Amino acid sequence: MADKNQADNAGVSRRDMFQILGAAPVAAAAVGAHSSHMHMEPTEAAPKGPYKRQTFDDHQWETVTVLSDLIIPADERSVSASKAGVPEFIDDWIAFRTQEDGNMNLRAEIFGGLMWLDRESQQLFGKNFARASEEQQKQLLDRVAYPLKAAKDDSPWVAFFTQFRSLTVGGFFSSKAGVADLPYLGNRAVAEWKGCDPKVWAIIEERMKNGYKGVLEAKPWTA
Amino acid sequence: MAQVKSAPKTYDVIIVGSGAGGGVAAHVLSLAGAKICMLEAGEWFDCTKDSKMFGWPYQVPHRGAGTQYRPWGAFDATTVGGWEVPGEPYTTVPGSEFMWWRARMLGGRTNHYGRISLRMGPYDFKPYSRDGKGFDWPISYDDLAPYYDKAEELIGVFGSQEGLENTPDGKFQPPPAPRGYEKLIKSASDRLRIPCVPSRLAILTRPLNGRPACHYCAQCGRSCSANANFNSPGVHIKPALTTGNLEVRTGAMARAVMVGPDGNATGVSYVDKKTRTEMEVRGKIVVLAASCCETARIMLNSKSNLFPNGIANSTGLVGKYVMDTVGSAVSGFLPILQDLPPQNEDGVGGMHLYMPWWLYKEQAANKMPFARGYHIELGGGRGMPGAGALGGYPTRFLDGGYGVELKQNLRKLYGCEVHFAGRGEMIPNEDSYCEIDPNVVDQWGIPVLRFHFKWSQDEILQAKHMQETFQQLIEAMGGVVTSKAGPDKNWGIARGGEIIHEVGATKMGSDPKTSVLNQYCQAWDVKNLFITDAAPFVSNADKNPTLSITALGWRTSDYIADQVKKLNVKV
Repeated sequence: MADKNQADNAGVSRRDMFQILGAAPVAAAAVGAHSSHMHMEPTEAAPKGPYKRQTFDDHQWETVTVLSDLIIPADERSVSASKAGVPEFIDDWIAFRTQEDGNMNLRAEIFGGLMWLDRESQQLFGKNFARASEEQQKQLLDRVAYPLKAAKDDSPWVAFFTQFRSLTVGGFFSSKAGVADLPYLGNRAVAEWKGCDPKVWAIIEERMKNGYKGVLEAKPWTA
Repeated sequence: MAQVKSAPKTYDVIIVGSGAGGGVAAHVLSLAGAKICMLEAGEWFDCTKDSKMFGWPYQVPHRGAGTQYRPWGAFDATTVGGWEVPGEPYTTVPGSEFMWWRARMLGGRTNHYGRISLRMGPYDFKPYSRDGKGFDWPISYDDLAPYYDKAEELIGVFGSQEGLENTPDGKFQPPPAPRGYEKLIKSASDRLRIPCVPSRLAILTRPLNGRPACHYCAQCGRSCSANANFNSPGVHIKPALTTGNLEVRTGAMARAVMVGPDGNATGVSYVDKKTRTEMEVRGKIVVLAASCCETARIMLNSKSNLFPNGIANSTGLVGKYVMDTVGSAVSGFLPILQDLPPQNEDGVGGMHLYMPWWLYKEQAANKMPFARGYHIELGGGRGMPGAGALGGYPTRFLDGGYGVELKQNLRKLYGCEVHFAGRGEMIPNEDSYCEIDPNVVDQWGIPVLRFHFKWSQDEILQAKHMQETFQQLIEAMGGVVTSKAGPDKNWGIARGGEIIHEVGATKMGSDPKTSVLNQYCQAWDVKNLFITDAAPFVSNADKNPTLSITALGWRTSDYIADQVKKLNVKV
């Protein structure tokens, strides 16, 4: 993967393809000249007991909780990001990538962005971001949440927010609550495999003929 | 100080390695009555006990994401292995990129591999005769066809009878019905006149030899707790153990083949990893199946007065002509699939449809800019969400945003991604080989491999063709291409070794001056030394190697048993 800091990436590596084609999940490996370097041994202990923070201090934790819930709030189908364990995921993910990648770039980007939220919030509203009103918080987010509309001077904070949103979304939809929300219906034994549900295929065929306008537009297939 | 210890027993056969090649040799030879000692560098693995089947990413650290030493994550069957193995380095010369995957565990790479099982076709055995590049095999498709039959009937492969050019059908179990996105891809490929047919994977859709059929959880890469997919420990080694003729020594890192005064192999020196002790095991026949490059490494490290350049290396060809598979991939996003009623799209661990190479006529008419071909592998759909699931969607498919609207839009976009990966033939070349690095050893005191690797224009132009074809497929479905590669990135061609299909290094042939092995994968120089992994391969067709390793290893094992009976090789 070109950018290991990002939890999700458009590039498809061999490892991605393996995940996609059914064999296994994603990561990054240094090779060739680096192959003799020793890093950590492959130890993976299952989490036990309450989560122990590795990355954020109390104030950052409060901000991360508020920010992730602004990105993924509760709705009629599922809980909010913080209820789904997203702050814990991000805290762990940053520590994990810092060790795996051997640099603090992701940590710096997130920490720096959280500093900016407070700085701007203090200047505009006289209080830290987490303590501002929801309306005030959204006023700030609107500046950075839409990359194409954002002011040029805000571009570092757009990049921060894009990264943070990516972590929040990825953390949410890979959580137990997120998996049920989508829903992903697999990871279970199926007695008889029947392939695509004919009702679903009928919808796809209909769309091939007439197109479909949803979140994105699908044009009808020609000839 | 470590002492050299010698075990007194002499086995009929010593097999180094327990993957597809070592497994099939152990299976065939133990049933034939040979007393076998198998050496495996890793630890014991039993998929029925050790599989992480049905686990969820949210139950493990970092949602099961890959690490340097577990590149495919916490659930992957490869407990110890990857492109990097702690304490077991390799090197590359400047200007060469090569990644060397090693699985240090019983069964090697068969525990997690993609299980794609494609027979090489008649053309694939005679590539030099067809286009003047590379080499011909000393055998033809007809020589190997009966062994493909046996292999498929033992390991269990699903597929369909298609009668396509140079794409031989086999002894197949029925294939699983396609998923929604796969039916859609087939509609598009039909329009583009690219054949799209049921894939051929070593996964049971019907019970076989006491193994149950697949339960369709899609996680074959974790290894199967039901033993419903092919893996060497569950399919080759377990039955071999029940004969009482097979002894497996794990944690046994083979170092060198020992040679007697007559020039025949007498056994194998290995390091017992637990005690860091140098050990020897004596045998009348030695079968190397340590994986293509590891086998070459053992041979090159087996230096003696009789074989100063390594055992069976009078030609200097051991290590030469290492090949991998040409890989290039494109991803897309298909709005036509958004917001569909949810369904379980798991299926087997891999694609239900694939596209075999289809441009033989154009190639024969000299209309193609590259030699040889590729097949297309596909993926997509509502897969298990792991770390980062949907994380990039807000900026890739939406204008950004946050809040309830974002959340609702995202769940509608789940399952719309589609991925195409080409797997194509690499032609052997003089610039791609491995040798012993004179300056570097591993933690077992064994000199390591140094790799040289180069793609030729044939492979790079093939990757270009893959990129263009996959983009056409995505566009034909009204999709958006989300990742592609252009000339600046050599059309996304994978690094050498990245596809983990290394073959070659001890090529077989019909002339002892230009090959290491004869047509039975027996060393020309050492009559009781055989190789049953992918090292004997003369070419690397787009057909993934494991099925051919199994068939060729079976043929070699039959030959060994036959020669022993005829007393041509003394046991």
